[in-house]
Amino acid sequence: MNRFVNSIIRLRCLIVFAVFTLTIFFGYQLKNLPINSDIIDSLPDDDPTAKLFKDIGTEFAGNDMGMIVLETKDVFNAEVIKHVKQITDSIRYTSGVSTVTSLTNILDIKSSEWGIEIGKLVDEYNLPVRQSDLDSLKNYTFSKDMYKGVIVSDDGTATAIIFTLLPNKDNQTIAKEIKEKIKNLNLPETIYFGGLPLMMNDINDLIISDIIWLIPIVFLVIAIILLISFQSFRGVLLPLLTAGISVVWTLGIMSVAGYELTIISNIIPVVLLAVGSAYTIHVLNSINHMALQDRKQALIKGVAYVIIPVILAAVTTAIGFVSFVFGSYLTMIKDFGIFTAVGTIIALLLSIFFVPALISALSMYRKKKAGEDTEKKTVLTHKILIPLTQTLFKHPKYTITAWAFILLVSVIGIFQIETSVNMADYFKKDNPTRVAEEVMQKKFGGSLPIFVVFEGDMQSPEVLQKMIETQRFIKEDPSIDVTQSVADLIEQMNDAMGEGKRIPDDKAKIEQLWFLLDGQDVMPQLVNDDLTKGVIQSKFASVDTKDIEAFTKKMNRFIEENQNEYCQIKLTGMPSVYDKLNSSLLNSQRNSLLIAIGLVIFIVSAILRSFSKGVFAAIPVVATIIVLLGIMGIAGIPLDIATVLVGSIALGIGIDYSIHIITGFNHHLLENGDAEKSIESVILLSGKAIIINVASVLAGFLVLLFSQIVPLQNFGLLIGISMIGSGFSALSLLPAILILANRKRKITANNH
Amino acid sequence: MKSTFRTALFTVLFGIGSIISANAQDATTILKKMDDVMYSAKDMTGKNTIILIDRNGKEEIREAIIQQKGNDKRMFRFTSPASQAGIAVLSLPDDVMYLYLPAFGKERRIASSAKNQNFAGTDFSYDDMESVPFSVKYTPKLIKNEANVFVLELTTKGRSDYSKIGVHVNKTSYYPVLMEYYDKGNTKVKEAKYTFKKIGNYWNAAEIEMTDLKKNHKTKMQMSDVKYDAGLTDDDFTVRKLKQ
Repeated sequence: MNRFVNSIIRLRCLIVFAVFTLTIFFGYQLKNLPINSDIIDSLPDDDPTAKLFKDIGTEFAGNDMGMIVLETKDVFNAEVIKHVKQITDSIRYTSGVSTVTSLTNILDIKSSEWGIEIGKLVDEYNLPVRQSDLDSLKNYTFSKDMYKGVIVSDDGTATAIIFTLLPNKDNQTIAKEIKEKIKNLNLPETIYFGGLPLMMNDINDLIISDIIWLIPIVFLVIAIILLISFQSFRGVLLPLLTAGISVVWTLGIMSVAGYELTIISNIIPVVLLAVGSAYTIHVLNSINHMALQDRKQALIKGVAYVIIPVILAAVTTAIGFVSFVFGSYLTMIKDFGIFTAVGTIIALLLSIFFVPALISALSMYRKKKAGEDTEKKTVLTHKILIPLTQTLFKHPKYTITAWAFILLVSVIGIFQIETSVNMADYFKKDNPTRVAEEVMQKKFGGSLPIFVVFEGDMQSPEVLQKMIETQRFIKEDPSIDVTQSVADLIEQMNDAMGEGKRIPDDKAKIEQLWFLLDGQDVMPQLVNDDLTKGVIQSKFASVDTKDIEAFTKKMNRFIEENQNEYCQIKLTGMPSVYDKLNSSLLNSQRNSLLIAIGLVIFIVSAILRSFSKGVFAAIPVVATIIVLLGIMGIAGIPLDIATVLVGSIALGIGIDYSIHIITGFNHHLLENGDAEKSIESVILLSGKAIIINVASVLAGFLVLLFSQIVPLQNFGLLIGISMIGSGFSALSLLPAILILANRKRKITANNH
Repeated sequence: MKSTFRTALFTVLFGIGSIISANAQDATTILKKMDDVMYSAKDMTGKNTIILIDRNGKEEIREAIIQQKGNDKRMFRFTSPASQAGIAVLSLPDDVMYLYLPAFGKERRIASSAKNQNFAGTDFSYDDMESVPFSVKYTPKLIKNEANVFVLELTTKGRSDYSKIGVHVNKTSYYPVLMEYYDKGNTKVKEAKYTFKKIGNYWNAAEIEMTDLKKNHKTKMQMSDVKYDAGLTDDDFTVRKLKQ
């Protein structure tokens, strides 16, 4: 090992040069790293729900629906209607927009005795001004189901302007452009922006502002903690430098490999700064403790001594991250797992190669301070660790009982855990986007699009009749207000021909009614070009996971019973996507935890050459994870795309504490042969390191509380809780078990 | 005829207004000459082939017999495809239309004030299909004088979805070669390419290729077997005729 470190020092200039060159190279790549906040993209490309949803975007005129709501005292007011027209026009003349529908341009079809009158609900060249005209417009609008609650809210205080975007365009840029244009109109009414394209644009902005604001704060917080614990320039600079470099490399590699920054990989920098600095801290700590006169020898010995524990710590942490690659269905989370694991390994390699190389290249040896060698009796040791050991030895059984009680409560809590995949929940309560979503839900039946796709001959009476039946079935759901399909239009046209509001039995009639519909703006949204597919469009008013689940289940059963060889039916849309995300979150949580626990026990057992020690080491972290999930259930923190990560990450980081305790215990036991004494000294020695480590990781993650994205706030909080939990359980539960196990062994040994 | 009177009135009014600008007068004359070339026949009968071409290049063909009298009476009678054969559309003055669907055996009156809607799945809006002279609907301005064409910029006088239309007029025969339609955001949204052929005394638009640039969809309207001044009467444009 010494020879290995020696050669690192011999090659120091090469290593330092290579690291800086690579950093510049990867740093340059950062500017090419795209941001993608599209949650649908987090489902794998071959996922049927996601694929169908994306296909609708290309086959029908856009599934990306934006909604602007204008709220005022009374919509039927000359000024307000003028403003609606202004908004409608400014959206209509934005390139990339497929369709716009509003009060001032919606088509109105009246059928009467003598025929059909096709016109606009409001004449856009002659907007109503007189009160009598406004009143009759109001009465007419409220008399028709296709307007009431769709274009104007039931109470008449809000009106919606709905637009769809052309497929394969840069939707977020267009959404942003529309938003700015409308803001620049400076209208007096309250205006809300909603729908996925606008929401994703907002999330993008939040991701960027999080990165800009949070990373410096994390740097600062960790710097302060390092300064307190090392009290040297080197002790602050090197851990931050290696963590910073690992962030740059990781993001650079993502960019070169063609990956995107998502709402989750957004936190990679924070995670790597908190986790990655630890390895350099260990290395520096070890070098500092080599009280040798020869500074170079101290460096070599110090590094050589710490290599194995540091590798062990990094590998277990990386396993926590890698567990997402195998355990998760969502690509977003898989990507996060891959690249944080890569970053962890980079931080590890840097702490082993780059840190000693840089120290010797720049002669950053530490100055000796007076009185340093005497281990100070700190507050930490006196007030916390010594009383803790005393309690443990007095009441090991109580300790375990107390933990058992906590675990029991937690297990009950676990069953209360709810999931949340609704994008509106990503925003804080007072965020305009979230407020807008709530307004849209209350007044216009939400903005979550639903699509029921029919495959078959769209001009056949049977298929159209099926569509009508399906629409009736959908409308029974309390979360559905309106549905729209080509079958509605055919019924309407049949009525206009004087044959009643129903689907004609004769295909020839349908084909001829089609002649009336051909070329209408709405048609490409409802049927594909060759009339082999049609879609029922609707909106889902609830974002409640249970409602979504119930609806999806009910629909799937209906589809199962109603489709046949002439008419294939499929359901997609945001509720389906959410439902899929939801079930994959639960699967991800379970699978990645099981994989992580299994792998960690395997690795620790292999290294400590004892399966029982591997299991012992896992006990504190498994207990912590149970408590963590229990707290989520009891406190109502939902399982979402960010909090689903906590368990495995906590496992990867927290296992280190147990490893420290168990290896320390072994070491001391070999030295003095007295188990109880060994436990006492390991708590006093490793306990301090554990508490400092918990504090620095905790502080780094708690910075996420300042994130603008709610799941990331929860993520920070939960990681914080699990750090405290795994630190505390490693210092209480694990020693208590060791004490009891040892006493039992002693008793059995004595009996024999 | 009411609209002829309107045309005349506008022309007179316009003549007075354009004394101020010699350029405008040139433009007005050019546009007037173009209208003359396009709308001088008393009546016209012919076979119309409508070819719809979608963004993937897939074609759909419809055929119709077209009869027209003056500027405001027109009968479209579809002959193919089979599912649409017999469907007839009669357009009369003042935005009145009658539609006959043979499968239902009855006609319906359609009053449409929404003229920006497309006609029967083509890229022509009802507005584009109207044969109201351009000089009635638009104010022209000569913006370029090229080797073979005058380029006019037409701005709308009344209500229209277009903010302006760029028209390229053939210098020797005064038929339009190209029309470019701009929306109110000043984006070119449609483009029509004209091919004219001389039949007897009249220039006939043998093909109009209209492209919707936003949808990337194209319609070709081709005329064949054209006969002019065959002596059609108002009786040929009645609801009774529609059902035959």
